[in-house]
This record gives sequence, C-alpha cells and structure tokens, in this order.
Amino acid sequence: MNMLIFLLLPLIVAFIAPLLKPKSATYLSSIAFLLPFLAIIGCLFNSCPPKIHLMTFSPPIGEFYLHFDMISHAFGLTICIVSAMIALYALPYMTHRFGEMELNVESEFRKYIFLFDLYAASMLWLVYSGNFVLLYVFLEITLITAFLLIYTYGYGNRKWVGILYFLWCAAAGVLTLAGIVILAFENNTLALDVLLAGGTVGMIAWAFIFFGMIIELPVLGPHIWLPWAHAEAPTPVSALLSPLTVGLAGYVLLRIALIDYSFIEAYRMPILCYAIFSSIYGGFSVFKQTDFKRLLAYSTVSQMGYVLVALCLGPFGFIGLVIQYMSHAFGKSILFSCAGGIIAVHHGLRDLTKMGGLHDSIPQISNAAVLGFLNLGGMLTIGMLGEFFILRGAVETFLKPESPAFITWEGGLALIIALIFMFILSVWYGFYTIKKVFYGKPKDTKRLEISGYLYVPLYIIAIVSVLLLFPPLSTALIQGLNAIPGLGLAGGVLP
Amino acid sequence: MDLTMIMVALVILTLSAVLSYKFHALGLIGAVIALLIGLNTCSSFTYGIFVFAIGIINLLSLSALKSDIQGVDYGLVGLMALATMYIFNTSDFALVLAALVLVSVPTYILVMLREGGTNVEVGIKYITFMVLATVLFLIGAIILVYTKNAFNGFLYVLGYVMLVLGLCLEIGVAPLHEWVPDVFASADPIPISIIASLAKIVPFIAALWILVYTACDMTGSITIFTVVLAVISMFTGNIGALTSKEHARVLAYSTVAGMGYLLTCLVVAAKPEFLYLALTGGLLFLFSNAAGKIGLFNAIKGKGAYSLLTFILAFSFIGVPPLMGFWAKLFILITLAKMQYFWLIGIIVINSVISIPYYIRLANELGVKWEANLTNFICLAAVIITLVTVLFVPVEWFVTNMEAIAHTVGIAL
Repeated sequence: MNMLIFLLLPLIVAFIAPLLKPKSATYLSSIAFLLPFLAIIGCLFNSCPPKIHLMTFSPPIGEFYLHFDMISHAFGLTICIVSAMIALYALPYMTHRFGEMELNVESEFRKYIFLFDLYAASMLWLVYSGNFVLLYVFLEITLITAFLLIYTYGYGNRKWVGILYFLWCAAAGVLTLAGIVILAFENNTLALDVLLAGGTVGMIAWAFIFFGMIIELPVLGPHIWLPWAHAEAPTPVSALLSPLTVGLAGYVLLRIALIDYSFIEAYRMPILCYAIFSSIYGGFSVFKQTDFKRLLAYSTVSQMGYVLVALCLGPFGFIGLVIQYMSHAFGKSILFSCAGGIIAVHHGLRDLTKMGGLHDSIPQISNAAVLGFLNLGGMLTIGMLGEFFILRGAVETFLKPESPAFITWEGGLALIIALIFMFILSVWYGFYTIKKVFYGKPKDTKRLEISGYLYVPLYIIAIVSVLLLFPPLSTALIQGLNAIPGLGLAGGVLP
Repeated sequence: MDLTMIMVALVILTLSAVLSYKFHALGLIGAVIALLIGLNTCSSFTYGIFVFAIGIINLLSLSALKSDIQGVDYGLVGLMALATMYIFNTSDFALVLAALVLVSVPTYILVMLREGGTNVEVGIKYITFMVLATVLFLIGAIILVYTKNAFNGFLYVLGYVMLVLGLCLEIGVAPLHEWVPDVFASADPIPISIIASLAKIVPFIAALWILVYTACDMTGSITIFTVVLAVISMFTGNIGALTSKEHARVLAYSTVAGMGYLLTCLVVAAKPEFLYLALTGGLLFLFSNAAGKIGLFNAIKGKGAYSLLTFILAFSFIGVPPLMGFWAKLFILITLAKMQYFWLIGIIVINSVISIPYYIRLANELGVKWEANLTNFICLAAVIITLVTVLFVPVEWFVTNMEAIAHTVGIAL
C-alpha cells in the first residue's frame, strides 16, 4: 500500500481519537503508529518509491513532497514504535495524572490524545518532509503541541516551564527559519532532492541553522530549558520530548550537512571539542541530580553531545548519528517511562534520596530500566552499532593520512580516547543510577501491583532495540544507509 | 465598468446609511450588498475574499457596540472595506490616494464611538495625528510622482521621507507611535479593532505602489531610513508590550511592533522584480494581524473568549506554522533575503522571540471557557481566517495572484 496512506493514518487518527473513550482512543492511536512502523520495516527490505509529490509552490519555495530514503526510514521507524508504545503506556499514567489534578478524566483525555497524536504524527511527517518549509512547519507543530501538553498537564510551575520551553525552542525554530530563508535565496528552491543534487549552503545560512539546532538539541549552554521541560512535563510527553524531539535537530543538521558540508569542515575541531565537552559535562551533571527525571534530562544533554560529535565525523559519523538517534530514543523512552512508573506506583516519588531498593517492589520497572541504560551505554543493543560508527568516523576522519582533516597520531589518539571516555561515562552513570534507584537497601520490600500498560510497552521497545542489532534488520538498515550518497562507503561496509 | 459598479455600491452604502437612522438593520444589509459588489469587481479574488471576510467580521462586531449612530457605522466600515477592495483595480495614483482618504476619514468618526455618547477626547488626539499623517503622505506622494517626470535628488529624498513618515504616523510605527497606546487603551475596543485591522491595508499598498513606481537609483540607499524606523518600531513595540499590563495597551504595542515588520517590506522598492514576494508577505501579515486584533479586541470587549481561540490567535501572531502569521513572516523574510538584508532577518528573529511571552500571557488572561455568544462567534470567524493557510494551497493561490497583480500594474518581473 502507498506509504502516503500509512503516514496519513496518525494524522487522521489525531482527529478521530478524541471522539472515542480513553481505552479505544489509546488502542487506535497505538495502531495508527504501529501500521506505519510495519510499513517502514517493509521498506527496509523492499524498495519503495523515492518520493511522493504533494504540491508545487512558486520559487523560491519549490516542490512539497515526501522524501523516502534510509535516513528517513530509520528516524521514522523509531518515532513510530516509540509513539505507539508510549500511547499505550499513557493510558493509566494520564488517568492517574488527571485524577491528581482533579480533572474530568474522559473530557481531558480527549484533549490530551489529540495533542499527543498530533505531536507524534508531526515528528513522523518532519522526517519524511522533502521541502525545508514543510519540515519547518512540522518542527513547529511539535513545539506547539509539546508546549500545550506541558502547559496544561505538567508538574510544578508548569505554566512557567511551558513558556520557558516555548521561548527557547521558538528561538531555535526562528533561527532555523532564517537559515532556511537564506538557503532559499541561495538556491531558489527548498526542495530537498534539488538541493541534494547540487545545492549550496552558504556560511550565513549554515550559521543560523546550526545555532538554531544546537539550542534544540541541546548542547551545553543553551541546555538551560531542557532539565526543566523534561522534568516537569507529564511523563508520556517527556518520553517523546527527550527521546524523539530533541534528536530531530540532529536530523536537520544531517540533511544540511549532506547538501553542503563546508561549514562543518571549516569549524570541525572547535565544534567537535565543544560537543565532547558538552557530552562529558552532561554526563558528570547526572551524578549531581536528586530528581530522577532531571537526572535523565542531563543524560539527554550528554547523549546529544554524541549526535553533534557524529556530525563532525564525515560519512561514517553520519551513520553513527542516525543510529545514535535510534538507540537514544529507545533507551530514553524506556527510562522516562520507568521514572513515570515509579511516580504512578510510589505516589509521585521522584526524589533520588528517597529511592533505593525499588527492584524489590517493582522488578518489572527495574529490569526495563536496565534495558534502557544498555541502549544508552551501547551494550547489546543497536547503540553498539552507533558507537562503532562514531569511532569509525573518528578514525577515518583524523587518522587516515589521505583525509583532509588528518591530524597527528598523538592528536588522533587523544581524540579517540576522549570519545571512549564519553562512551564509558554513559555506562558509568547508567550503573550508578540503577544502583541508586533500584538496588541497595530497600525502603519497602513489599511487591506492588502495577498495571501492565506501565511496563509491557517498554519491553517491546527494548526487544526492537535488540533485534535491530542483529541481521536481517541491522544489515538491511546499514546497507540502506551505506547506499545513500554521502554516507558510509560506496558499496556498503558492514560492521 | 469597475468604477461604475463601485459607484453603485457607494450609492447603496449612502442610501442604507441614511435609512438606517430609522431601521438599523438596513445599514448592515446595505454594507453587505456593497461588499458583495466590491468583491465581484475586485481584480484579485483571493485578496478580495480576505478583505471581504475581514469587513464582514468588522461589521458583525459592531453589533456589540450600541452607539448613537448605529446603522451609519455599518456604512462607514462598508466604505472602508470597499475602498480597500478597490485599491488593486486601479493604477491611477489619484484614485489610489482617494482610496487612502476614504479608508482614513471614516476612522475619525469610528474612534469616537462608545455606548451612550461620544469619546471626544480620544477623537481629538486621533484626528490630529491622522490629519498630519494624511497630509504628509499626500504631499510626499505628490513630490515623488513629480520627481518621476522631472528628477531632482533633493526632492526625491524629501518626498520619500515625507511619504514614509506619513505612513508611519498613519499605521503607528515608532517613534511616531505616540497616539497608538493612548487611543487603543481609551477608546472602545470595537472601533479600535477596526482601526487596527481594516484601516492598515490601504496605506501599506498605496505607499508600496508609489515607492515602486517612483523608484530611482537613490532608492537602494535611502531605504535604510525605512529599515531603521522598522527596527526601532519592532523593539519599541515588543518591549512596550512586554512591560504593559492592560490588555488593550499590550495590543497597541503589539501593533507598533507588527507595523515595524510590515515596514520592512518597503525595501523591495529598490528591486521591483521581488514586489510580489513583498506584497504576499505584507498582505498576509495584514490579514493575520487583522484577524488577531479583531479577535482579541472583541475578547476584551466581551470580558474574555474561548481559550482555544485566543491561543490560536496568539500563535498566529507569534508566527507558528501553518497559521497565516507564519506564511506572512516567511514571505517577509524571503523578501529581505532577496534584498540581502541578512542582518535585518536576525533582528526579526530576535523580535519574534521577544514577543512570545506577552502573546501567551494575553491568550491565557483573555481565555475563558466556551460559551455561545457573539464574542466567541467573532473570535471563531477570526480564527478561521488564520487557519485558511493550513492546507498550503491557498497560500500558493495568493502568491500567484500577487504575481499577476504585480504584472498588471506594469511592473516587469
């Protein structure tokens, strides 16, 4: 069946689901994302048309179409499976949240499910947008829907946090728009295929887009909004915001880099050093947190450093970027959901100082969290491939004498050691968190009742993350990525 | 033929206004018929339909105001909308200037309307500024048209400056915005919603037309004067709105900021081949601004409107896609990129972000639960205008239409 129909499904369901009862709306929403997920898996193995025309705009905007390549599919399948599972997870969680806020469950669920579906569907459309204006439209819809979800159903000073999030991300968006407009001026089109075939991205356009997107990622400095937004958002929103939304900045930067890599080539070392420092800073900040959701938010800062690092590492780094997005999305959606599970079962518990030994009371959540951290640490999940390609990118870029960015062996090794330390730090804070939250001396050994919705979807995400490490999924994915001009080696190299 | 139909519409407007002293509804009916005739004769249907929609909402909103001249006020708004529709039908500058006066003068009366009397103090303040604005604009325009035939550098600069200053006074661009916060905050919100919406369109088009038509080698360098005013207006408006508490005053400053964005479109005078981009950006901006101002001023009058509607209007002001406000900003930015004003793009970026908190605050404070009343109905109509662009296709129609208009007025593309 036509991919357009599969992509339209979540958008249509966003308008139908609010008419149904919460349970039916939840299942419908989940199915609306599972079907495109299956269709994308089909596209990994069978060729699908490279584009679907939507409409043509006058220059300098150009054609609106859906762009299908393995990059879009990799992002798309991640968004679909995470959104489908979080939709299920949200049923008991949001019911609990509405009760906590003394709101009418049924009427609030209608508003919530509309915003949730629109939020997730707009991310899916973003990664298939074949025109930068279309991409920007969906980028901003994700911003607005996430803002409204935080503003309406968040924790703490939710209105203030909502506006903080909106301000920072709108700044990111408008900077990006300015870059896109200059891109239009330079190329007289914003259609992706035309730009990929010979477009140029001048330094001013690159600078606008780059600074916009590092706010959205975010890296050290503009990351101020992130711990607030991720911690105070209702957990199903955190479980999309951190794993899926922020990484889309990496997607935008990757698309621009594939058109014209000159900006990164010109400023590779400062950006790389900044990205590594940002990642390490984020990693160490994790140890200082006393709120579980804020801890996970800082971990996101660290992980997004990987994305920026990968962007600097050429064709193999690009593959690393795509896989890093996937593994972070799988891992972080599981972990935020675990934090939400603890909140739901332990009456709002988020304070790490009051945690410890929770494995005894909620082993289902504890085990899921281990799987989440395995993704972040790049162990036995698709995260392994991400780290492999990032390291490969570093070797190809800095240690091969024929590379234009070749530096001395000492310098190259120092860089690689820094990267390895960055990876190890993720494993380190992962085990630290597991020990602090789930192991150690239990405060309550009584096994608690927990709804299956709160943990079964997390295991499904974890299974997908493991399956993607092995053939045939991994080989299909990597071969597909290698076949894209500008990514990997021509002809394909398997790890 | 066009002019004949317009004359017929004017006669209908006049008769219905006279008869409305006895039967109020006749004023409304006459105005609607006149607008339908105007729409039928309008050379650009997509432009005409937006003006028609804004005019109708303005007319309906007048029902919330029981003024002493109820009925005649419909005729005045009808006259403004008719002149606004007609502006694209002519390339005769006498008629362009006549349209400007026809849009401006009715606002002198409208601004004084309030329930149970007239607001003379506000009227005097407003009329003083507007008369000065119109005089500056007209003299500037005449000087510029004169230099087209007998070029004189000094006269060109003088004409340019006078025309731009007249425009700034008329639409409320800083630092000539003194009247805006006071008048917006003291007058009744309904006439202000008309002044902040319908009354802004013709001055912009007239100024753009004259500047493009009279452009010369000096235009490129003198546009910096316009750009500086635009930048001052953006910052003054946004900072003023951020620091204001009264809703009407916030909207007044938001108008000052908005008119700064609009003014940047005038830079296109130096390169008329991009006129259609500036027209698209400027007019979409004016339509989205009109919808937003009508909705929010009516919300002020009605002590709040449905929160979903106030938020959508606020998002359109901020420029969130795919609402109309986004397309407006996009085309304004594209125009500036084509004119290579990259630094100005940066300034607009900063100002767009500054404006977010006060629009969200306004939407939040004016937002209430749903109730079936006139305020919500008007807000809903305003929201529908901002949502027209969600399907993308109307935007492309509008761009194509603006290209055609740029051709018909004899500007080579």
